[in-house]
Amino acid sequence: MDLEKSIMSLADARGVSGDETNAAELALSMLKSYTDDCFIKNGNVIGRLGCKGSKPHILLDAHIDQIGFTVTHITDDGFLKIAGCGGIDRRLLLAQQVTVLGSKPLDGVICAIPPHLETDESKVPEMEDICVDVGLSKERAEEMISLGDKIVFSSRCEKLQGDRITGAALDDRCGVAAILRALELVNDKALQCELTVMFSTQEEVGERGAKIGAYDIEPDIAIAVDVSFALTVDDSELKCGKMGGGCMIGFSPVLDRELSQRLKAVAEKNSLPYQIEVMSGTTGTNADRFSVNKSGVKAVTLSIPLKYMHTPVEVISLSDVENTAQLIAAYIMEVVS
Amino acid sequence: MTIELLEKLCRLNGTSGDENRVRDFILSEISGFCDCRVDPLGNIIAEKKGTSAASKKVMVSAHMDEVGMVVTSVKSDGTITVSPVGGIDPRVAIGRPVRVGDSDICGVIGAKAVHNLSADEKKTAPKFSALYVDIGAEDKSAAEKLVALGDFVHFYSEFSVFGDGFVKGKAIDDRFGCAVMIDLIKSELPYDCVFTFVVQEEVGLRGSRTAAYSVEPDLAIVLEATTSADIPLASGEKRCCELGRGAVVSHMDRSTIYDKELYRLSHKLASENEIGWQTKTMVAGGNDSGSIHISRGGVRTIAISAPCRYLHSPSCVVKLSDLEDCEKLAKLMLEKMCTL
Repeated sequence: MDLEKSIMSLADARGVSGDETNAAELALSMLKSYTDDCFIKNGNVIGRLGCKGSKPHILLDAHIDQIGFTVTHITDDGFLKIAGCGGIDRRLLLAQQVTVLGSKPLDGVICAIPPHLETDESKVPEMEDICVDVGLSKERAEEMISLGDKIVFSSRCEKLQGDRITGAALDDRCGVAAILRALELVNDKALQCELTVMFSTQEEVGERGAKIGAYDIEPDIAIAVDVSFALTVDDSELKCGKMGGGCMIGFSPVLDRELSQRLKAVAEKNSLPYQIEVMSGTTGTNADRFSVNKSGVKAVTLSIPLKYMHTPVEVISLSDVENTAQLIAAYIMEVVS
Repeated sequence: MTIELLEKLCRLNGTSGDENRVRDFILSEISGFCDCRVDPLGNIIAEKKGTSAASKKVMVSAHMDEVGMVVTSVKSDGTITVSPVGGIDPRVAIGRPVRVGDSDICGVIGAKAVHNLSADEKKTAPKFSALYVDIGAEDKSAAEKLVALGDFVHFYSEFSVFGDGFVKGKAIDDRFGCAVMIDLIKSELPYDCVFTFVVQEEVGLRGSRTAAYSVEPDLAIVLEATTSADIPLASGEKRCCELGRGAVVSHMDRSTIYDKELYRLSHKLASENEIGWQTKTMVAGGNDSGSIHISRGGVRTIAISAPCRYLHSPSCVVKLSDLEDCEKLAKLMLEKMCTL
């Protein structure tokens, strides 16, 4: 697969938490290259590979949803009132171009009090003071937009210098791409264990898809492939990894320490660059749900460093995605042998 | 005015002081239809022959520049600090794609992840001085191979027609005025007149000052885009003007008290010809009229503006019917003013 193209097409697909169909169907079609046994259940994209019933049963997960908004009301003059789906940074909303996923995609602009009426440029608007301008009267808006329709940032993926890519939903579509790439790397080998892939729904609103998905899948080992913070000048080295520094292997009280160590050893053995991400409690990823599934699952996080998380201009390095895929594939091959 | 022409103009990058690309495009559009020259600041002065000589010299003016940013330093991690050029609210710059320099290098103005913001940081939008552009360069030396101090940084956003007859995009202020003037220059006009496509409006009405000095007009029409707040969060007079209600003709703004006779004439011509006409309900904003009307011994000046939401952002919004009203009114006013 062309990793860069796959990441960009996945991240340009639309899938706000709770309405991931567009992105989920694209991911499903890509997953079909590796297994015929794949389907969407309750919003989760599931693919089953390897020997059914063989231990250990490994779950590879990345979430398919992205942050966005939902339409809550249409005002008398045709503007949309909205609520956030997931962690929204209200500092950057003014005049953002968005796409309203109505009966057809509609362009819109987020608006709030204009400068001549609001002189304080440091003021961050409250969600209730924000609306979306779709250039329609109330009647016309109601013809095409229903309450509950989702809204995404309009920005499209673009290539930056080197191997860096910017886009609005790289969190966590680059994780989806990393898993697909890992499947490609192990594809030709006969898998001696059971392997399930899940592109899970509703992570951004509280890892809900992970909870219901893991219940059905019942894995022994769960690997949550997500993004984590890459260092920027305005952030702390204590919280962030380095862009281009390779996959971030999670160590946390809620993760399985042996599994974290194993992945670290696999990275070293295969000369793959990696970094350690230490968290002192829950991880804020699907791994938190996996570890307490049913009677318990050994869980770990593998994170791709990402700058400007939850903005329309998230940035990743292609090499980190490739290295994450390599690490996943090497780990699976080691478990198999 | 065709939407294609407006789109071409808006897609060009031309922050104040860096109008070359806009100027080259306009020159290629109008060559053969008028006599034009470029003055030392970069203004285009285009003398258009009409069917007859005018009894008064009328200058029609629009500005080519747009608000943007300029590179002030390259940091050790390869990111780039910028200063705003013209009035930009930092809240419309954070979290957007941009283009850097003459070769339009892709970049983004990112923001620290919302997860890592303190409660205070979440409530306070960063100042311009805290924003930076990331082009994906690994370090300072990689960035310096591509970007020089003083390079301009432009907003990058999609231009599109949306909703029921609305248009959104960057730089509609004032490529709209440029588009109307290109149309007028290409059309048959009854009287001789002069068109000026000026530079540096957004940094203090500077291009129009030298252009008006050179042209020495008796009267002037400024074509602009003006801020409208016709959104649910503003009511009554605070809305300033409204999209869909036609051309905006101010009696007064922060730069100019407009010629009363011309103001009344614009209203009269608009009502006689069923052209949408409105005035602003606040004394706000300003435009090149500010420098033109006090040029030399004084120039009787009027401004005809398209009402525009989210002015000076990457997503200016205007309505097509207002653009048409502005163009019709400008043409009628020009004809009348040539023989006043």
